[in-house]
Amino acid sequence: MEYHCPKSLPEALGLLQRYGSQAIPLAGGTDLMVEIREGKHQGAHVVDISRLSELKLLELNEGEVRLGAGITFSEILDSELLREQANVLVQAASRIGSLQIRNLATVGGNVVHCSPCADSVPALLVLEARAVLQSAEGVRELPLQEILVGPYRSGIRPGELLTHFVFQGASRFWSGFQKLARRNALAISRLSLAVLAQQNGQGLRTLRIALGSGTPVPRRMEKVESFLLGKAPRERDLWEAGRLLACSMLEITGVRVSTAYKEKAVQGLLVRALLPLVRNGN
Amino acid sequence: MELAEQRSLSPIWVRFRLNGREVALQVSPGESALHLLREKLGLKGAKEGCGMGECGACTIVVDQKAVNSCLMMAAQLDGKEVLTVEGLESPVGLHPLQEAFLEQHAVQCGFCTPGMLMSAYALLARNPTPTRREIQEALEGNLCRCTGYEQILAAVEAAAKRISKGESS
Repeated sequence: MEYHCPKSLPEALGLLQRYGSQAIPLAGGTDLMVEIREGKHQGAHVVDISRLSELKLLELNEGEVRLGAGITFSEILDSELLREQANVLVQAASRIGSLQIRNLATVGGNVVHCSPCADSVPALLVLEARAVLQSAEGVRELPLQEILVGPYRSGIRPGELLTHFVFQGASRFWSGFQKLARRNALAISRLSLAVLAQQNGQGLRTLRIALGSGTPVPRRMEKVESFLLGKAPRERDLWEAGRLLACSMLEITGVRVSTAYKEKAVQGLLVRALLPLVRNGN
Repeated sequence: MELAEQRSLSPIWVRFRLNGREVALQVSPGESALHLLREKLGLKGAKEGCGMGECGACTIVVDQKAVNSCLMMAAQLDGKEVLTVEGLESPVGLHPLQEAFLEQHAVQCGFCTPGMLMSAYALLARNPTPTRREIQEALEGNLCRCTGYEQILAAVEAAAKRISKGESS
């Protein structure tokens, strides 16, 4: 194993290009160090990107938020800008790992690791975040969903680095995040759900729902969204939407050992997420 | 811990402040900060419990933040300000947190204690008058299998009081 500590983004991109599929970016290290301890990555070239100021970008420009991939979850929790513009992401960040993990782990790392249970991903999906990938050859920008290829498999090509996310600020949306796990802290999600909504006198004008840990990669649940959209839902509509959510999940995963639990749990999670909105309005 | 030692073609040199003193030494790629502290620097306070960031026994404070030293690469310590439990004590005696842990019987087997102390230290540096809930949140990444949490929370509360009183007098 070799360790490289580039001083700038162009230098990092040069190293990623030179070592191709042998290169592994090191950001927070909270997943990577566990894998190294397991004996993986023996011949790898670790490229330490944790000191690159280019990845710490956080700005709001004409309603658009640019969020650096190297921002840690603690930094997300401390950010007034994100509290206002991306509250759903702040809620998700507060449920990740422990304080020690949140002090190290980055939002970019959480995404590229492509774990089915990455808590920040459903939040970024409802924000309709686009991922910006840079390489020595150029820049690609694509919807987040497209880089989530499969469990622990991202669509990021050798030589590319996820540098930041771009999304429209969501200050005028109501947001909710729910997570089910065995404990409150330090627990991997069994299910997570992110919601972004906007309603007027007639009912729900905008509704985005993303499910985590229920499918091989977190994803938007369009069927459930369109079922509720335009309605001024009452509690029994939410239970119906919850059933639809469970069906959508099972269509993708098929019946598994955990189905008996997850089918019920996911319904409850949706009701719990949306009930405050339905009761109190927006 | 053998896995942490992997051969490198080019040596990696790190220089950082450790418990107030400058250190400079060579590290291996893939080596964890915890391995460096325990095996090369002889600081056995931070413990390896789970080796995957779940137990908090390896907690140290880096640039004022509590982190799991098992999840940090030793090379990443370069240029940082590092505090371990060995650096809490001053020439005048134990740190108020350590005194409070003794008085409140917050130590049983002791394995989690260095990590608990460092998480508590980082909390009080950031928030000198935490509520009980804030103490719980700051320590939620530290597991105690003797289940002495009540005494630990009481100790952090007592230390916070003592420190803020000391500063105002």
